[in-house]
Amino acid sequence: MDPLTAAAERALVERCRAGDEQAFQELVDRYKDLVFALIARTVQDRSRAEDLAQDVFLRVHRGLPYFRGEARLSTWIYRIVANACLQQHSGSTPTTSLDDERSRGRATGVADRQFGDFELRDRLEKAIARLPPHYRLVIAAHYLQGVQYEDIAEALDLPLGTVKTQLHRAKQQLRRLLETELK
Amino acid sequence: MYCDEALDAVEAVAAGDLAPDGRLADHFATCPNCSGALKQARAVEQMLRERPVPSPPPQFTARAMTRVRRARWRSDQVLDIGFNVAIAAVVVAIVIGVWIVMRRSGLGVVGVDAADMVARGLVVLAQRVGPSLPLYGAATALLATALGLWWWAERDTSSIG
Repeated sequence: MDPLTAAAERALVERCRAGDEQAFQELVDRYKDLVFALIARTVQDRSRAEDLAQDVFLRVHRGLPYFRGEARLSTWIYRIVANACLQQHSGSTPTTSLDDERSRGRATGVADRQFGDFELRDRLEKAIARLPPHYRLVIAAHYLQGVQYEDIAEALDLPLGTVKTQLHRAKQQLRRLLETELK
Repeated sequence: MYCDEALDAVEAVAAGDLAPDGRLADHFATCPNCSGALKQARAVEQMLRERPVPSPPPQFTARAMTRVRRARWRSDQVLDIGFNVAIAAVVVAIVIGVWIVMRRSGLGVVGVDAADMVARGLVVLAQRVGPSLPLYGAATALLATALGLWWWAERDTSSIG
């Protein structure tokens, strides 16, 4: 779906505000891929991700009357996603251990390269799950097509430099967590 | 250059955010530890770029819209209940206000007399109408039947047309 121009975005928001259900459905259709991908990558549980993504659109619906249009609609939606993801993770600590998975992998003695890649991807997901929520969100957003550093910075209300630093630190932690597999 | 400095820059170099200058490039070329870290950072970068993008389920929009409608219905219900409670509170306040005014101004006695008069009038009306009640009932039933037949005939004609 092509990105909306500022005027088209304003028109869509106005239609939604006027109670046009078709317009809100259009908004959901337009942003659902990005919202779901961002949440699913951060939460890493599809059913929870769907529930949370629907909750985001409910918050968007409730918040539209108060949306002043100072930021782009997409940035405002990212901000809601970021809040939802961070609230979801507050107080929860990742429980998956890479070491447990590693020993299980060795025990099966897998030599096949394809399976090795799959295993590495699985380890990557588990390593990401061990990152602090802020880092996880930044990693999730940065590697989604169409999301710029500026969007992340605005959504998280952080300076651009801080976002870049957080991203580099997140990747540094990932590299350390995956050190053995990458050797 | 120390390894600490080079290791801090590894992720930025791997992502292409930082082009290694002469000193940094020389260090990566001569230090096996840092060049190994750079290789690993590039591998992480590659894996992150190739990470599959999760897609929402096909019924996502419909489910989201159902949730939005349900939430709106609930908030409408709350609004309706609030409005009805407010109306009831106003009516009760008016009744209590009128009662207080009547008590203080002595109109309460007049009010009781008026209520007695209306009650007596209703009793007289019932006594007069009572004997003719079956007749009135039959007339009403006849009228209702006639109106029902007329309505049925009209409905039938319109459905054919």
